[in-house]
Amino acid sequence: MRHRPTWWKTVIAVVLTMVMLFPMYWMVNISFTQRRSIRSADLWPRDFTLANYGSVFRTQLPYLGTSLLIAFSVVLVTLVVALPAAYSISFLDFAGARSMNFVLILAQMIPAVVMSLGFYSLFNDLGLLDSIPGLILADSTLSIPFAVILQTAFMQTMPKSLIEAAKIDGASNWRIFTQIVIPLSRNTIVTTSLFAFLWAWSDFMFASTLNPGGGKLRPITMGIYDFISANNEEWGPLMATAVLASVPTAVLLLVAQKYVAAGVTAGAIKD
Amino acid sequence: MTFNNTRKVVAAISTLAICGSLAACGSSNSAADDKNLVFLDGYPQYDENSAWAKVVQKCAPEGYTVERQLQDETMNPLTTAVKEDNAPDIAMIDNPTLPSAVDAGMVVDLEAAGVKTDGFNEGIIDTGKVDGVQYGISYGINTLGLYYKPDILEKAGVDPASITDWDSLNAAIEKVVNAGYKGITFSGIATEEGVFQYLPWFWGAGGDLSKPDSQAAQDARDLLAGWVSKGWAPKSSTTNNQSAAWDVFMSEDYAFAENGSWQAQSATEKGYEVIAIPSKDGGNSAPVPFGGEFLVLPYHKTANDAKQKAAAEFVNCMTGENLLEVAESIGYLAPKDDVLEQQLKDQTYLADWAESASSAQGRTTELGLKYESISSGLSQKLQDALNQK
Amino acid sequence: MSAVASAKIVTPSVPGFVRRWFSKSRLAAFGFAAPLVVYLLLFYVSPLVQNVSMSLHRYTRRTFVTGDAPFTGLDVYREVLSSSEFWVTLGQTLVFVFASIVVQYALGLALAVFFNQSFRLSGFLRGIFLVPWLLPPMVSGTTWQWMMDADNGILNRFLGLFGVDPVWWLQADNSLWAVIIANIWLGIPFNLVILYSGLQNINGDLYEAASIDGCNGWQRFWRITFPLLRPVTLITLMLGFVYTLKTVDIIWLMTQGTGTSQTLATWAYALAFAKGSHMTIQYSEASVIGTILILVALAFAFVYLWAQRKEEEA
Repeated sequence: MRHRPTWWKTVIAVVLTMVMLFPMYWMVNISFTQRRSIRSADLWPRDFTLANYGSVFRTQLPYLGTSLLIAFSVVLVTLVVALPAAYSISFLDFAGARSMNFVLILAQMIPAVVMSLGFYSLFNDLGLLDSIPGLILADSTLSIPFAVILQTAFMQTMPKSLIEAAKIDGASNWRIFTQIVIPLSRNTIVTTSLFAFLWAWSDFMFASTLNPGGGKLRPITMGIYDFISANNEEWGPLMATAVLASVPTAVLLLVAQKYVAAGVTAGAIKD
Repeated sequence: MTFNNTRKVVAAISTLAICGSLAACGSSNSAADDKNLVFLDGYPQYDENSAWAKVVQKCAPEGYTVERQLQDETMNPLTTAVKEDNAPDIAMIDNPTLPSAVDAGMVVDLEAAGVKTDGFNEGIIDTGKVDGVQYGISYGINTLGLYYKPDILEKAGVDPASITDWDSLNAAIEKVVNAGYKGITFSGIATEEGVFQYLPWFWGAGGDLSKPDSQAAQDARDLLAGWVSKGWAPKSSTTNNQSAAWDVFMSEDYAFAENGSWQAQSATEKGYEVIAIPSKDGGNSAPVPFGGEFLVLPYHKTANDAKQKAAAEFVNCMTGENLLEVAESIGYLAPKDDVLEQQLKDQTYLADWAESASSAQGRTTELGLKYESISSGLSQKLQDALNQK
Repeated sequence: MSAVASAKIVTPSVPGFVRRWFSKSRLAAFGFAAPLVVYLLLFYVSPLVQNVSMSLHRYTRRTFVTGDAPFTGLDVYREVLSSSEFWVTLGQTLVFVFASIVVQYALGLALAVFFNQSFRLSGFLRGIFLVPWLLPPMVSGTTWQWMMDADNGILNRFLGLFGVDPVWWLQADNSLWAVIIANIWLGIPFNLVILYSGLQNINGDLYEAASIDGCNGWQRFWRITFPLLRPVTLITLMLGFVYTLKTVDIIWLMTQGTGTSQTLATWAYALAFAKGSHMTIQYSEASVIGTILILVALAFAFVYLWAQRKEEEA
């Protein structure tokens, strides 16, 4: 069976991918279409224009930079908080370990509307409104519970004997954590990083409630709103912005995807 | 509430934690010599090179800078900001939300703060009053009309001058449709925008907002829902906002579109023309709602008189000596007759709109705060009707 | 580490239970978990407390600003629960959530099994499959709205090729199914990633053995793959449930939560921000719905933990 030709599978896969990506194609299609024709549902940009991209390159690049900065920082914050906690829950005598899973599921459940209303007062007291660190902290709430759940699940599959042996050799917890556990968790780290990155990247709720300041410090999800006003929406440039914003993340995804596969694997399955 | 105290403790602890880890805390701007006016600006579409942004900067009072805070919806951010005593110095809000802002104590008396209100068109300046007090001031208005494509009407043999009441409008649409074209687009979306577009038909049938269950309300719904069920208007009217309805009008062979004066420039470029929206039984054209935003001065729990004075100066500049530039920069009609006259010379495509603009009606003028719930009810019923429920 | 340093202070004269509580390992454990604990206290407790507090007071725009909202106890809960709109919306929410996660899971699993075979371009295409995930909701929601346009949408044109009459997708009665379709599309990449990695972890030798025993592909799937995938299935469904229950943007952008597409989450959003046909802000009602959403999730979390425990015992 292994030796049977597999080209037909490739054909099916290509067709499936095309179906899945069709809305993406539509975005690209509209981004090259003049406004007067965006609703005519042509399968290709019959009323072709490049003008939508012209204005986008001029105005949207700084937002893209902000989004990248925020998303990478969220990854960092997520790992700094989640990794040691997962280590503690998995290997140390942490009093709340049992209920932690439950608390984390619950934490993920709080609707974003509730979170953002609550954060406004908190951030105002902290002087974090309208600041990038504030937005980083808020966005990290999207990924930290998930990261802890996943990391803990993974670490619990590690052979305990490895840790015990290191302890007998006199290694401190810090040493075990940094020299043994983290290197072994590499794939799970990539996975959680990717999720953290994507959630931070696509956040709009926090950006709009906590970072209303003007200027160029807004993330791209807010920058998109530059094309939407009370009475008028410019879908061409908006779609062009979305296309532009998808490029760095698409590259990232393709690079990361081979780790993702390996990462969640170990994480989700408990022995 | 004890909850507030808990929050402060939490806040204090976390300030330490966050300052330590991220070095994020700059000095908060509490100083009395703060010379930065924050302007909550609902026009994110205008970047710093736009005419609008330039006139905003030009109006910065002597010794002050103006910082635009961009949000496409301003009422909710303003509410939370006032609550937390973090309000901007000047804000822009959509005109029907003013009674709610006044009721919540979010805005202050403009005249007491030093804003000048003379020289305005009387009907327009009054829409910014609640209980006789001027809380909001207009720097330009927009309103609705009935756009058409002259070439399609000509080919279908319809004379736009014949459209004087609902029957002649229906006859015109039917003729166009029978000639192989499409009928009319409008926005029936389940938001205030949909209600805004519904009101000319409601008022045109003799409706009164204090009686939202009247026959006029039903007639107006029947008219719009009939267009959809007959296929004269697109089914997407139920979810189209005004911008989408305009895109549909442009994309396809639609002959008519109910849309706003803000499309006048692009319409003129494409050779579309506009007439007033007819009332049910003819005679005068239907009353149209007044659209546009107000400038307001938000309430600050910790008062800063010097800053408020500067903010009032900014408002006076925008609605006074620079009004022409302000109105022209966004294509709204200036709310002062003499300024409007000049504007119509500069922006001739607005000429058809002058009359309906000066007679446009405020949505909240009579009802005040009650408008919110009446509008919600109208919106839900309209949505049901358009969905043929 | 400071945890280690302070542990030295503990002397034998301290009572036993204190010593146990402050034992070196306990302190180290706490030290490592401290960032998370502080983080949870800071960023989750405060919004949660505020939400519950708002649901017990009568918050309007005015009382929200002035801060003197009257305490109403459970009145708002009673009002919300006694309205017929609530029960209708709850029903729609459950249909939305269960239809979404069941189909997402089934399709995600089928795709994962399919891509788990090696053929030309399988890795690349699988990677590309995740790209829709990157779209801002603003864009994917609107694109779906256009594709489902009743008069001119690409979906109806496609169906027209097979002689199917145009469907008014976003009409009040159909809109729930329309948003479910879009949401399934949105959730497939997530399901595919997690389930695919679960498959990768299954030992290939098992399949070899099964194939020697004469099992066909279908039997192999049901006897080996599916049972071994159960833990991954649990985590996928649990996360899928949580994220679907919270979904606002795609629904809002397509229909503004009109007709049957209103869910508890979109309803709360409309009330909290005076959006859509709800032009009056109703913070308390929104908070009540928010609290109910959390309770629904809590119930599901119990189910998950129960299933997980059973899984561990098995």
